[in-house]
Amino acid sequence: MSNFGNLLLAGITSGAIYAVFAACLSIWFRVANVLNLAIGDFAMIGAIGTAELTQDAHLPLWLAILIPLVASGLIAWVFDWVVLHPALDRGRGHSGIVSVFFYTFALSFILEGAARIVFGTDVHAAPALWAGNALSFGSLHIERAGILVLGLAIVIGGLAAGYLYYTMSGKAATASGESVIGSRVVGINTHKLRRQIFVTTAVIAALFGVVESPLTGFTFSSGPTISLIGVVAAGFAGFRRPGRAVVAGLLIGLAESFLGGYLSTSYNEILLYALLAVVIMIRPGVLGIATAH
Amino acid sequence: MQPRTDWLSNRSGVIPLGYGIAVAGVAIIVLLGLGGSYEANVFTVALGYAIVTIGMSIQLGYSHQLAFSQSAFMGFGAYAVAILEVKYQVPTALAFLAAIVGAALVSLLMSSVLTRIAGLALALVTLLIPQIVSQLATFSHYLGSFAGISGVQPLYNGETFQQSLLGTGIVAALVLGLVTFIAVRILRSGVGLQLSAVAANEGMAEGMGVSLGQRKIEVFVLGSVLAALGGAVVASAQNIVTPDLAAESSQLTLLVMLFVGGRRSVWGAIVGAVAIEYLSNLSGTITTNLSIIEGVLLLLVLLFEPDGLGGIVQRGWRALRNARHRTPSGEPERTQKIAPVALRPDAVAPVGGGDTGE
Repeated sequence: MSNFGNLLLAGITSGAIYAVFAACLSIWFRVANVLNLAIGDFAMIGAIGTAELTQDAHLPLWLAILIPLVASGLIAWVFDWVVLHPALDRGRGHSGIVSVFFYTFALSFILEGAARIVFGTDVHAAPALWAGNALSFGSLHIERAGILVLGLAIVIGGLAAGYLYYTMSGKAATASGESVIGSRVVGINTHKLRRQIFVTTAVIAALFGVVESPLTGFTFSSGPTISLIGVVAAGFAGFRRPGRAVVAGLLIGLAESFLGGYLSTSYNEILLYALLAVVIMIRPGVLGIATAH
Repeated sequence: MQPRTDWLSNRSGVIPLGYGIAVAGVAIIVLLGLGGSYEANVFTVALGYAIVTIGMSIQLGYSHQLAFSQSAFMGFGAYAVAILEVKYQVPTALAFLAAIVGAALVSLLMSSVLTRIAGLALALVTLLIPQIVSQLATFSHYLGSFAGISGVQPLYNGETFQQSLLGTGIVAALVLGLVTFIAVRILRSGVGLQLSAVAANEGMAEGMGVSLGQRKIEVFVLGSVLAALGGAVVASAQNIVTPDLAAESSQLTLLVMLFVGGRRSVWGAIVGAVAIEYLSNLSGTITTNLSIIEGVLLLLVLLFEPDGLGGIVQRGWRALRNARHRTPSGEPERTQKIAPVALRPDAVAPVGGGDTGE
């Protein structure tokens, strides 16, 4: 039973990580109809940036966290200004199915390359925000960072849901994802919303990278894997439902944990990916996007 | 049967043959120029990648089939040839044949399920496949784990190392020429036109009588088989196959090759593969900054030239031709013909959207 309990805790913790990235992805997709494939790279910048600034530059922790967060926000803002604005608003370049993937895919390449030059190829982890051994409750063990991850996930999920469903701006964001032209007609500034949410989700991802890096560790190339799981989890929520994306992320984390615990520790990732693929193939309806484009 | 149609169909066989011979010829000339050097080996590997990107240009570029499983099939082809050659001493030609047939069967089986799901869902599933295959290869002792399988035979066994290297390159060039011929032949045929229609609007294409399901399966199988063939060529040129070949990162490189070269151009697909593979094997600053360069190139292509290098060349070629055929009034003569290769999906849409009024 304790084995089950620990697997459950581990699954919820890693599920919460996937859930936050999936939520960030789906909120922005809801506004812009673009998948942010660079979301994992923003997390990487947060985590490795904080690690380097504390360990090599010996800055105080709050400053070491703040600088990468501001940098992530700036990168996102510049990228929107230089690339997404001309591409999506001015009708320059590609639109449609290509734009869904490839603009942010290019950003991911650039961030990965830049991180390799600036940070090197070592594994980094930001210093633990809540230092100490794993907490034990009887036979159950949970890392302190895991509790922070869970707490932050709940806060972020709650804020996102509150924003989308209960504020005027959130409703406007949903509208601009449904129809850009229709939203502009009724006076919604679609570009501004897209930029704001892109920058916000980039900063959230970076912050989350700082919080969760003591658990997983980061290298310059950690980004794409995180983005992939995030995209899959968001996919199970039809890409535009952050609430369902959080649930999907948690379920994926649990599935991964139990597959690893009960079946095979080395093949658990393969089993997880295969399971996800089979679910989509058998019931494409679970995505809610079966007929998209 | 009108004579005009016959003339067209003859022509549509001759031109693709010209393309194929030209591609193989240029590649062989480059190889002979490079001799038995390291660069010749890099170029041969690039030719293998070009076989894959040609398949991708049909799948992603012309048919808008969002399948990201090509690196997995590259791995399939490479491992199949490696296992047969190294573990069972099967001759190279037979191993290649087996790899192609195997890839065709597997992709046929997969496509019967996969092609029923559309758009983003297909993209999601096929994004997972490279992960599954590369992890499987990493953890399987039979497939050699991280180290992969070494000792894959070259495509041509010469007396010296240099001869084998050059011979392998020439065989790869001939295979690439054949693949180019097949691809251009398909794209210039009625099927190619149907694929453009499917890409523009599936509902419209089905309304015009295109058997949607069948075409989708054919495109998926073709893309997968070419990927397996390309992977087998890459493994033969490198004499080794590792799990990296099937991984997500290799899929991303393939996509950059396709987009930089031009996703709707067979020429572009070849040039993109050669250019990126060449860049990634240079020493010094370019290799260290490669992913930044690739990312910036991709952005430039997306923003300024949707059809990539292939698009630039095609536009330049057209401008040149128009300049030569200027009419006395100074206006360029419109010599542009509507051929499937030149046909842009957005040019098809208004035709299908119109009411026939019958």
